[in-house]
Amino acid sequence: MGGWLKRHRWVVPYALLAPGVLWLVLFYVYPGIQMFISSFWSGTLETGFTFSLSNWTNYPEALSASSEQFVRSILYAGAATILTFLIAYPLAYTIAFKGGRYKALLLFLVVAPFFTSFLLRTISWKILLADSGILLAPLKAIGILPPEFRLLAEPIAVVSGITYNFLPFMTLPIYVSLEKIDHRLVEAAKDLYAGPWRPGGAIAGIVLGGVLGGVLGYIFEYPVPIWAGVWGIAGGLIGWLFISESFTRITFPLSLPGVFAGSLLTFIPAMGDYVNAEFLGNPSTRMIGNVIQNKFLVQNDYPEASALSFILMAGIIVFVAIYARALGTEALTTGRG
Amino acid sequence: MTPQARAHEEQAIEMANYPESIPTPTALTRRRFLAAGAVVGFGGFLAACSTSGSGATTAPSAAASAAPSGAPASAGASPSGKVAWANWTYYMDTDEEAKTFPTLDEFTKLHGITVEYSEVVDDNNSFFGQIRPALEANQPTGWDIVTLTDWMAQRLIRLGWTEELDLANMPDFTANLKDEYKGLAWDPDMKHHAPWQSGMTGLGYDVDVTGDLTSLDTLFTADPRWTGKVDYLSEMRDAVGLTMLKLGLDPEKPTTADNDAAIAEIQKAVDAGIVRDFKGNAYAEDLKSGDATLSMAWSGDMVQALVDKPSLRFTIADQGGMLWTDNSMIPKGASNKAGAELLLDYYYIPDVAALVTAYVNYLTPVKGVDAKLLEMDPEIAKNPLIFPPPDVVARLHVFGPLTEADEAYFNETFAKVTGVG
Repeated sequence: MGGWLKRHRWVVPYALLAPGVLWLVLFYVYPGIQMFISSFWSGTLETGFTFSLSNWTNYPEALSASSEQFVRSILYAGAATILTFLIAYPLAYTIAFKGGRYKALLLFLVVAPFFTSFLLRTISWKILLADSGILLAPLKAIGILPPEFRLLAEPIAVVSGITYNFLPFMTLPIYVSLEKIDHRLVEAAKDLYAGPWRPGGAIAGIVLGGVLGGVLGYIFEYPVPIWAGVWGIAGGLIGWLFISESFTRITFPLSLPGVFAGSLLTFIPAMGDYVNAEFLGNPSTRMIGNVIQNKFLVQNDYPEASALSFILMAGIIVFVAIYARALGTEALTTGRG
Repeated sequence: MTPQARAHEEQAIEMANYPESIPTPTALTRRRFLAAGAVVGFGGFLAACSTSGSGATTAPSAAASAAPSGAPASAGASPSGKVAWANWTYYMDTDEEAKTFPTLDEFTKLHGITVEYSEVVDDNNSFFGQIRPALEANQPTGWDIVTLTDWMAQRLIRLGWTEELDLANMPDFTANLKDEYKGLAWDPDMKHHAPWQSGMTGLGYDVDVTGDLTSLDTLFTADPRWTGKVDYLSEMRDAVGLTMLKLGLDPEKPTTADNDAAIAEIQKAVDAGIVRDFKGNAYAEDLKSGDATLSMAWSGDMVQALVDKPSLRFTIADQGGMLWTDNSMIPKGASNKAGAELLLDYYYIPDVAALVTAYVNYLTPVKGVDAKLLEMDPEIAKNPLIFPPPDVVARLHVFGPLTEADEAYFNETFAKVTGVG
């Protein structure tokens, strides 16, 4: 046996790959091919479907009918990715550098919500954000908010739901890449007079915060100048108080692989998510996942649903390719951003 | 287990009323059932969303069971063996502790026929997708009874995929089916379907906020009491049907022009910000939390919602409401047609049907159930959501048949107005 293996060394990697490959072939490649075929179908559930290459028109038809939801998915998934990054980075940073002996506990707390189902977590947001729920009722009672104000059935609820649901996917990779950083590099930077980055940090904070706030305000359909202003001021303060040169030159670049991985792990599933839009949104916040779900299960329009699924997949691949190119694939493997 | 187990039919049915042999459902049971239902509902929702096949794809195995040896078969040529029944979840009286279905067990005891009862239908279309290939190829589906909603029942019958019922074998069905269920255009002589349970679609509202409401117009009219807090149903036939009634159109004979008018009316309400969202059963949660103060609502959900929040009301508006029915059919090629007929007929015995009604709280198509329930559980017998008075029944409409092309068109336009098309 040992002798045989020694003579046939080439078998080993294939044997190790086999379970994964088999899994992917069975549950990804095969259904993928099935779906590709059905995207060239025409017909109905009642009469049966027939395949024809001339049905490529399913693709442009599906795309033009749901371009609105497509664009919205990109905006919502993008906004949620940025928000998870803004929340996850300081969180991961604190755990990695200041966590001390509580590190394990803090990490556990990050993952803890995952012990409940995705659906229940989303539905619990409905309870928290209800029009007269524990968050809004007191604010309405003291007159800060008008009685008809609501968070649910609004874009902000959908994006917040996605942000919350995917937070651990962003936090954990960033934590891992921060944790690996050699502290002596930061100390060395400080020795070389890398101090607080003001006023550079403040200016960068105002600009970044302002732009981000404006974009988010636009997506949430809130007044853009107010959002840009508030976020700009917040960004400026953060930049002034917290951002040092050792962070911009050492820590942040070294954590980029984690940021890259985390943002992909957030953005890709968020693009296809439909649960948050279904439970927390309204008719004008539906995402492409909702359209695909409806076409598959309500309208029985399998051809267009399959075509949309493929367009979604292709769109994500293109987006990821551009993103990887922009951030540099080097950063992925070596951490040298 | 009891001496009665050996008894003949009449005696055994009497036994159905003995609390010790079959627990009488109580309000507590119902509440627990609904709580479980909510969880299962979400599970079902998830299952429906995933593309993987669920248990539903597995046809019951033939080898699963033979008739219990102790049960006496009444006559030599009588049906025997097993009957496989595909039904919706929480649609059969259940012994919560033993996880059994008492009326089904009773049937087995009486007739020596095992029932493989499977709660595998959670969506008409996806279940149709599962049985279509077999029916199309003239193969047995593995089911002896399938229970599906009107419009899907119409489709199966239209396609000729159901066995004709031998009414001579079904004396209780012939005698006890309520008149309003008879004479439908798609099965005028009741030869293909036996109604199982029905529900009404009407107005649900919080009377403390809105005051008493009697008109469907409220759903489409801006008012500070409910603007932005109105849920519509995401079920096309219910939402479009109610809108047609509001417009004075006839949902029993829906045309594409009627549909366009209804969709335009819904779109106006959406654009005006009156509609909060289109919901499935979740509208009931919104009504309870106050996120919705007015909603299109199903009577089955509201039975419980009214208990949970006493200020809620359910009403069939002056313009009318919708009635839907789930119907049992014997699919072509069923292996035990005689057994299936016997089982369908059994549920038209008022004592048996009363036990089901007491548990599931839907409208029953069986005559005499209200009288039985007056003895068993008067609270249920007097509930107008389960036994609506005749003037309400007269205002109910069944969404009419659609050709396949029209159905696709209706669904597509409705998907657009709900934001997913």
